[in-house]
Amino acid sequence: MAWKWDSPLYSLADEEQNDRARKVWEGESLGGIKEDNNRLPRPVVWLLGLTIISAFLMTFPLWGQRPTAAIYADYIALMDTPEVQELVETKGDDAAMQYIVKTVKATGSKWEALQDRHPLTMNDLRLIKDQVIELQNAGADLEEYSILGNQVIIANFEGNCKGPMNAAGNCAEGVERERKQPWWDRGYTIDIFYVIYFCLAVMIAIKRLPNHNWKPDHTKHH
Amino acid sequence: MAFREYKIGARLFGVALGLSMMITLYMPSLNIVEVGSTEMGLRKGLQYGRIGGFSVEDPFLKGEGKPLTVILKQDPRSGEQIEPVYAYVYKSGIPFTSAIRHPRIMGKGVEDLSLDTGRIGEATEKAGAVFVVSEGRWQGKKIHYIENATATRGWTPDVIMNSVTDADVRYIGAGKIMFVKEGCWWCHTLLPEETQDWQVFGAPPRLGDFNSESPTALGSDRKAPDLLHIGSRNSSREWMMMHFFNPRLVQPHSIMPRFDYLWGPADAQGNTIDYDKWRAEYNEYTAGKRIYPPDVPEPAANSEARKLIDFVLNLK
Amino acid sequence: MFKYLFAKNEEIPPGTAAVYFGFSSILWFVIGTGLGSFNAAKLAFPDFVTGYEYFSFGHMRQVHVMAVIFGWISMAFAMAMMYITPALGNTRLWSEKLGIWNCFLWNAGLSLGLTLLWMGMTSGREYSDFPWFIDLVVLFGVILPLGINVWMTIMKRRTQGIYTTNWFFGSAVFMVWIVLLVGNLPEYFQLTGLTEAYLTWWFAHNVLGLWITPVAAAIAYYTVPKVTGNPLYSHRIGHLHFWSVVVFYSTPAAHHLMSSPLPEWLKSFASVEGVLILVPAIAFVSNLLLTMTGKWRFFVDNVEIKFTITGVLMAIPLNMQGGFQQTRAINWYIHGTGWIVAHAHLALLGFSTFLEAAAVYYGLQTIMRRKLYSLTLANFHFWFLLIGFTIYWVSMTIAGLIQGAAKIYEVPYIDTVIAEHPYMIARWVGGTMVFTGNLVWLYNMWMTARAGTAIPAGRLPHELAYER
Repeated sequence: MAWKWDSPLYSLADEEQNDRARKVWEGESLGGIKEDNNRLPRPVVWLLGLTIISAFLMTFPLWGQRPTAAIYADYIALMDTPEVQELVETKGDDAAMQYIVKTVKATGSKWEALQDRHPLTMNDLRLIKDQVIELQNAGADLEEYSILGNQVIIANFEGNCKGPMNAAGNCAEGVERERKQPWWDRGYTIDIFYVIYFCLAVMIAIKRLPNHNWKPDHTKHH
Repeated sequence: MAFREYKIGARLFGVALGLSMMITLYMPSLNIVEVGSTEMGLRKGLQYGRIGGFSVEDPFLKGEGKPLTVILKQDPRSGEQIEPVYAYVYKSGIPFTSAIRHPRIMGKGVEDLSLDTGRIGEATEKAGAVFVVSEGRWQGKKIHYIENATATRGWTPDVIMNSVTDADVRYIGAGKIMFVKEGCWWCHTLLPEETQDWQVFGAPPRLGDFNSESPTALGSDRKAPDLLHIGSRNSSREWMMMHFFNPRLVQPHSIMPRFDYLWGPADAQGNTIDYDKWRAEYNEYTAGKRIYPPDVPEPAANSEARKLIDFVLNLK
Repeated sequence: MFKYLFAKNEEIPPGTAAVYFGFSSILWFVIGTGLGSFNAAKLAFPDFVTGYEYFSFGHMRQVHVMAVIFGWISMAFAMAMMYITPALGNTRLWSEKLGIWNCFLWNAGLSLGLTLLWMGMTSGREYSDFPWFIDLVVLFGVILPLGINVWMTIMKRRTQGIYTTNWFFGSAVFMVWIVLLVGNLPEYFQLTGLTEAYLTWWFAHNVLGLWITPVAAAIAYYTVPKVTGNPLYSHRIGHLHFWSVVVFYSTPAAHHLMSSPLPEWLKSFASVEGVLILVPAIAFVSNLLLTMTGKWRFFVDNVEIKFTITGVLMAIPLNMQGGFQQTRAINWYIHGTGWIVAHAHLALLGFSTFLEAAAVYYGLQTIMRRKLYSLTLANFHFWFLLIGFTIYWVSMTIAGLIQGAAKIYEVPYIDTVIAEHPYMIARWVGGTMVFTGNLVWLYNMWMTARAGTAIPAGRLPHELAYER
């Protein structure tokens, strides 16, 4: 079971091992079934590569997440301004909301795309206003909170610990986890290593076989 | 691993399967044990009790060995008015919910408060106990914990049951068993989607919302409305009663089966229910020979229908 | 059967256990699809058989699922293992007597388990519905004896090599045993909450991924080269298939619970792995279709190849669906709708059933040394299965898309129910066709046993001409 690394693209076994394998391969009757030694057809290799790439592209970024509380902080800050108050009284909620959205857009917000994707009404905003302000006063990071209807709740992301970890890999006592929506998830990192490990293992397994240019002759010994 | 090198192959197989199980079982478990139970999680655990699906204590899924949920409007000992509170009554011998047996699963903080302030460690199944959910502070944050009211307030199961009438008792635990046994969850999910439909069906379950519930019966194949918050959308006992007896009384296009058999032999007044007569009259009604459908009998206090309705109305 | 339970191992004719398993599996298929047709009728016409607890949908649905998974599919697997494993090792089954006992315990345990489920004695967990003591029967009375027989037959083989099919057989029995053990932990130890929900779907995913899919594929690895006489196209693609099943199929369990509060990284990991399920699928399909080179007339002429290749072709849409529908980008739309039901039937009634049916057709003829009684009836079976399934799949996919749209646009639910009603009727028609086809199959196999032409020694069943 020796390994030979001088020509890894040809075979990892030595010639004697390959010869033995060839003999077994040609001489054996597996219930009347025979096996060929063809390599993966080129289109299939491309298809596999495409699969691996699209596996990552399809699942990244994190789709369909709830809006974080942070994207509405600018809206809420504007709610108590005299202009908005006046608009609510004179022209109603919809006009006031339009004004808020326009103003925030004009000043430029880092959340513009998400604000567009998760529009809401003045009534929605009123329901979450006090909760968001309370969190801001408590010094919480709003990105760690999601909006769920009328509730502002801690988001379901398992980020890094904000402090030391214990031996089991969990946060030490009293240390919180970061709950921000990550642009990259450690699930993907595990996946990358997992796929690499798989490709290496399969290539090694296949490279120990007699090279694909050898075709078993099934007319022998049968 | 190569041609006929099966020893290497077998080892590699072990490594591959082990690694996959480490990533999909061990690593998530580290995150899951960190989760602190929410108020909803604590209440669910307490009202359902330990028995979920099949168990030795209740092999035929009759709803035995379950706690009772009682709405207290006055202190059962002194009789003075209090803010209404849900008390979870475990009579002697009723198995405790997993959160009491293994406080660890409630998560840090909730566990500490429940043990130190709530004194749940003093409760025994032999003597029975009454639990309530209370609010406390842990590391500056507001959290809920379980309080053993038998130890802290002297509310024993007997004291509570003597102070209330059947109208204040909810058979939620037994109702959950009916929900499982009758297969309600094959069509009604308990899992509003994280992304969309929660405007209608309400908030999806959050971290810690079912720490000591089993089975969770989230469902997978939704052929009917999600029920996780049905009690908030529709709190009419009358409507539920008619809908369970024959869904097409209140919703002509419904494809839900009739659950009239859950009424048992007699109604709340003790009169025998004549199902054949009811069905014949109902058929006349659908054929247009009657103007009104026959009346739906009121389920008896100990009927399976009553338990199931208690459970469904309490999904809030 | 009973006379063999206490007979000496040497006195039992080789292949007896496989024959019992074969006929049991057909019988369970008839029962399982009959229940399916009954349940579908209830969804189309809710007052069909009403007012009896034991005939209500909630009591019958899981009996249908468990009857087809543990009765039809798994017993057909056991049947295939009992005759293919020894054939590929040029030997006899390690213990025919253990096989007979296995078949007896399996039928008895399953009948008991299904009766209990029918009465409502359930664990309340999808796909692991059986009460925990039935799980123990499955672990130690059903899977372990089967595993011992398969492993020992492979160990005692008289060839140096192990053919691809046997890699899958040997490892899948091992993996499903582990999956049954771990997946049912919540029932043995009263695990709760997210752990329980996750393990339920970990089980449901892996019982399909590490048992049904690989064993069905392994059967095709035997049937196609055996009947066509072509060598398997590539040993090395077989490696790719095998290792990618173990590595990629065992990991995406969390993609069944994308809406639950499971750790988000786990869902990301699972959805990438979910797409990578296409790796074994591509390997499997390309290997078998290339093996068919030059022998495509068998696809028309021969019953077993017709079934097998149809199953292999169905693996293409199956895995395209399975790989992509679980990503967050698509899952939010179709999760929990009839689309998933259609997909599950594509996996079990489409892909896997067609491969196993071929194995049962071929195996029973080989062991009983009888040529198939009637080609006409077999073709009737094939087309009723295929058309019935197609009607089912198309109607449920449409119903699923309606439900998905209604979910996203938050249409009042009753309007969804009204809109999908015609498709519920179509699903019932399709399911009933499958059931009818299976009745014909049972008759055909029974007549093969009684009146099929004897196959002369040294000849294979497919070498003889069909007579009817």
